[in-house]
Amino acid sequence: MADFSWDVRSPLDRALVAGPYGAQGEAGVTLTEIRNFDLVQVMARRGKAGEMAKAAKTRFGVAAPDKPEAVGAADATLIWSGPDQFLVLSKGGKHTIEALGPIFAGSASLSDQSHARALISVSGEKARAMLAKLSSIDLHPDVFGVGAAAATSMDHTSVTLWRGADRGGQAAFNLLVFATFAESLWHTILDSAAEYGVTIGHSEEF
Amino acid sequence: MAADQANRLASGGLIDRSASLNFRFDGKSFSGFKGDTLASALVANGVKLVGRSFKYHRPRGILTAGSEEPNALVELRSGARREPNTKATTAELYDGLEAASQNRWPSLNFDVMAVNQLFAPIFVAGFYYKTFMWPAKFWEAIYEPAIRRAAGLGRAAQVSDPDHYDKAWAHCDVVIAGSGPAGLAAALAAGRSGARVILCEEDFVPGGRLLADGGTIDGLPASEWVARTLAELAAMPDVRIMTRTTLFGVYDGGTYGAIERVNDHLPMPPEHQVRQRLWRIVAKRCVVAAGAIERPIVFAGNDTPGVMMASAMRSYISRYAATPAKRIALFTNNEDGWRTAETAIAAGLQVAAVIDARPDVSPAHRSLASKGGFPVLHGSVVGVNGGKNGVRKISVSLTGGARAEVEADGLAVSGGWNPAVGLTSYHRGRPKWRDDIAAFVPDGAPPGMVAAGAANGAFGLGACLREGFEAGAAAARDAGRSGNVGSMPVADDEAFSLTPLWHVAGKGKAFVDQQHDVTASDVELAQREGFESVEHLKRYTTLGMATDQGKTSNVAGLAIMAAVSGKSIPETGTTIYRPPYVPVAIGAFAGHHRDENFHATRLTPSHHWAAEQGAVFVDTGLWKRAQWYPRPGEKDWLESVTREVNAVRSGVGFCDVSTLGKIDVHGPDAGAFLDRVYINAFSSLPVGKARYGLMLREDGIVYDDGTTSRLAEDHYFLTTTTAKAGLVMQHLEFCRQVLFPELDVQLTSVSDQWAQFSIAGPKTRDLLREIVDPAEDLSNEGFPFMGAREVALRGGLKARLFRISFSGEMAFEISVPARYGEAMARNLMIAGKPFGVTPYGTEALGVMRVEKGHVAGPELNGTTTAGDLGLGKMMSTKKDFIGRVMAGREALVAPDRQVVVGIKPVDKARRLRSGAHIIPKGETPGPDNDRGYVTSVCFSPVLDQWIGLGLVERGRERIGEIVHAHDPLRGEDYDVELCNPVFYDPDGGRQRG
Amino acid sequence: MRITCPFCGERELGEFTYLGDAKPQRPVADAGEEAVYDYVYLRDNVAGVMSEHWYHSGGCRAWLKVTRNTLTHEISAVEPAAGAGAAKVGA
Repeated sequence: MADFSWDVRSPLDRALVAGPYGAQGEAGVTLTEIRNFDLVQVMARRGKAGEMAKAAKTRFGVAAPDKPEAVGAADATLIWSGPDQFLVLSKGGKHTIEALGPIFAGSASLSDQSHARALISVSGEKARAMLAKLSSIDLHPDVFGVGAAAATSMDHTSVTLWRGADRGGQAAFNLLVFATFAESLWHTILDSAAEYGVTIGHSEEF
Repeated sequence: MAADQANRLASGGLIDRSASLNFRFDGKSFSGFKGDTLASALVANGVKLVGRSFKYHRPRGILTAGSEEPNALVELRSGARREPNTKATTAELYDGLEAASQNRWPSLNFDVMAVNQLFAPIFVAGFYYKTFMWPAKFWEAIYEPAIRRAAGLGRAAQVSDPDHYDKAWAHCDVVIAGSGPAGLAAALAAGRSGARVILCEEDFVPGGRLLADGGTIDGLPASEWVARTLAELAAMPDVRIMTRTTLFGVYDGGTYGAIERVNDHLPMPPEHQVRQRLWRIVAKRCVVAAGAIERPIVFAGNDTPGVMMASAMRSYISRYAATPAKRIALFTNNEDGWRTAETAIAAGLQVAAVIDARPDVSPAHRSLASKGGFPVLHGSVVGVNGGKNGVRKISVSLTGGARAEVEADGLAVSGGWNPAVGLTSYHRGRPKWRDDIAAFVPDGAPPGMVAAGAANGAFGLGACLREGFEAGAAAARDAGRSGNVGSMPVADDEAFSLTPLWHVAGKGKAFVDQQHDVTASDVELAQREGFESVEHLKRYTTLGMATDQGKTSNVAGLAIMAAVSGKSIPETGTTIYRPPYVPVAIGAFAGHHRDENFHATRLTPSHHWAAEQGAVFVDTGLWKRAQWYPRPGEKDWLESVTREVNAVRSGVGFCDVSTLGKIDVHGPDAGAFLDRVYINAFSSLPVGKARYGLMLREDGIVYDDGTTSRLAEDHYFLTTTTAKAGLVMQHLEFCRQVLFPELDVQLTSVSDQWAQFSIAGPKTRDLLREIVDPAEDLSNEGFPFMGAREVALRGGLKARLFRISFSGEMAFEISVPARYGEAMARNLMIAGKPFGVTPYGTEALGVMRVEKGHVAGPELNGTTTAGDLGLGKMMSTKKDFIGRVMAGREALVAPDRQVVVGIKPVDKARRLRSGAHIIPKGETPGPDNDRGYVTSVCFSPVLDQWIGLGLVERGRERIGEIVHAHDPLRGEDYDVELCNPVFYDPDGGRQRG
Repeated sequence: MRITCPFCGERELGEFTYLGDAKPQRPVADAGEEAVYDYVYLRDNVAGVMSEHWYHSGGCRAWLKVTRNTLTHEISAVEPAAGAGAAKVGA
């Protein structure tokens, strides 16, 4: 009796076709799906927000976000996802729910979201113009700086959006989208980006 | 060969004479230049007749040079891109443009429907109501089609629009509507302050009236000042100038709607580009610098081609170097109208006469008249002699009563200017009347908005610049921007004098609303018949209800109403103003959301695998779910579904049930919380066990159901129905945050985290033993019915296993993290191969639940109680829960309620249908004898007949009774037997075994 | 319309779900049928300022109490529900 193989498949596995898309010439938008990550939702228990923050500081060396922002730690990004809650995003296997369980025991409830989202990075000169078709949030650099985050909606679908470190002198935005909506939203993103020309790829690098 | 542009001036104008463009109008070839509109190119080619009117099919020409145009409406483009009612006055000319006139048959020159003019008495105000009253049945068959053929505007393309549209958001401190002197000055001040500015201009060139009327600003010719200003604004990174963009509406909270005609100036959008884009602009402040619209004077024959607004005539001559006439007469009641005479003379055209309704004319204009060799006639135009080929002669009634005739081939008319009060009035604002300019001006505006310049009744160039600049500076300041605004642009103010004149009595039709063919006598008739209120006037006569929304006609209409009803104009008032300011294509509102993108789609983790298997998908809310998996040779869905059911009942099958809502309920008070939201107890559920739960609404009606498992002391895993997943999450968050904030409980949706499969059938355990680690005990003792725990799978993956059954068979549900969902489906096929495993879809799932008497959506329909569903005993009496008190109300526990019961046709060959009404035998079908209805049906392979569930009055007491199924919708009547809803394995031995 | 979520900032209407009047309080368990009937069914039809429950469904999932003028749509205050977040009691 052979063991079964358990291949992981990103929810964008079929829809994502690496390479150029849309208008020809220099691509205005770069879309990169980040695969192989762990994502854990951390929600403070009643009256335990302080303890939760302390536990986070001990584990990650940075204060957990208490307002809409994404905080970079050495090997994780802590992203605000609502009042007294945040997401821990890390490379696959780094900060799994099993590893974080003991850290937040008694101070927070954890829920594994590693498979519940697809992670898409959007960058390029036209990233803001493209995102303006999907997002009602003001992404002007003075308003939505590096590290700003938002729990918001795109195409009537909940997303977590944050601005990462600039890439090649251009702003880079990250999007966590619900896995079962991912393919649909991906097509919407491509439709929105097509006029600017798109470079599509995927990566395990954050 | 394109006709020459005989009416093009040899020089001047903002056109690019090096870029010649060919176009066709009604099949005839013409040429124009880049920078032309279709209207200006037609003027340059001497085309005067461009359409026929709505009701009377009267010949019509071009009245204006802007978006207020009522007459020059054409069908632009052809085939799928045909666009009716396009204003020739705003349609930008492009090479290869094709346009056709509207409302004419067989041709524009010879229109048989013009006989409507002979029947004019029946087309008066309210003619629909008066003429086509009876017989009523004639309306649909005869009257309406006839009216639609005779009257109407352009024809829509009857096929799907091939172009793309999209929507976008923009954010700024100050949004400005209009780029005339006031708008540009506002943008300068706001931009210099450091504000983020969006300037919307509906034209394809910024400048507004400066483009035609020129002037001197800061000592520079207006064109140079505009160029300098645009260059300064272009250098500001946070100032965005959007041409071809109309700000059409204002909404709550500083949100504005704008439509950008991105590629309307091209034959078709370039690949990957959109045709139009709808903008939602969020702005802290708004400056309305939308200018003013010159208004006509109503007189007999005022719709003759060649009669044109005075400012429009200047636009054609100055901006487009196109001459609407060779010998122009001007009819004005104000100083500004005279500019047209000046422009005409400067362009070398002849002025036949100026007819001025005012008693006095300025000395400067007197000398202009004597230099130009034309008379100034004090009086009014009372008639126009002409026709489809234009104006020939103008009859004038002179002050004092004498008559005069003027020979001219064009008549420019100026009745003064109406500020564009649309945007400022959209929140039910009512503009106020100003006697000095005889016009309505804004009286307040929606929060954050202010009008400046001509839109605010300031008509002088200097005043426009000043008001615009000050409004721009103030708006930026209010938005928190305090940069140095620099110096204000300066210009002189022109003199303005006006003697109000709305309507000149005369013989023949005098049009108020040219697009809807509403005449002055229609307005008078409306008043006589009691439709005196402006809102009644509008609806009775249809004044202002055409696509131009009465931009040139509303004020004249209510001025005439005021005159005949003996009231003042402000007493008569205005109608309510509503967006959009210009027509906006529905396609732009839809944007990306059409066809397969009409709404977002959710795919299950095994979707692509199921597609490979040839599954037929069904839309369930946003989801695509595998409905059944047809195999070659199967003749219809029923054969496939029956095979799937039989395979499960005799062997093993599996189904992706990941669409169920899944919620992690965490925290020390998780059990107590669930006790309050479910009717049954969950705090008593042991770890490692699952329980079926039912939720009520606070009014006692069933809300949702599902299985909830306890995975740890402080962790429950709750499932909801597919349909209610989002709503249940919202409801539970309401309970947690609003109703029971004292409980320590946390909720997270994990619907997308888990791929969940139901595996069912007597060989389920055999299959599972192949895939689950052999160390796991799956025996009835080791994993009893309603057990729930984590297990290891072969190959190392961890899964959650729940021994629950919806099908009535021995069954488990297994969940793995979603990215393994597809692998799980493939591995279930491999593991189950020896046992003939069969994937099944939602139809087979539904068949088995009906056979088993499980309630679902059709029974949880927002009217049923737990008792109605046969689940009344689940209601705990030991605790409070949502809906408890109201569920005990008399009517909700009445013995004669309709309750769930099984139903099967007496004739086993008969098909049962949902929706059939249950009537006691021997009683007449009808509402009085209606005892319930069939909710769910299926063909039961086990019973080899159609069966169903229904909600039937006193149903449980009537089991065994033969009743009548009455289905008037399908014309069916047949006998059915009421029976136990559990058709299959009523004692449940199979699922427990 | 735009609502300023106390957690997320100003957001467009589409991110929110309306529930209704925030004034009625859920009666205690033994309050009796009359009180529950009032709570479930009886609502004021306010023309003017009213307190309403809104859910930031397309954002942080907090329930909010929004003070809104039903005539002008002017929003004068937005507060989180008592249990939004971790209820900082004893934090």
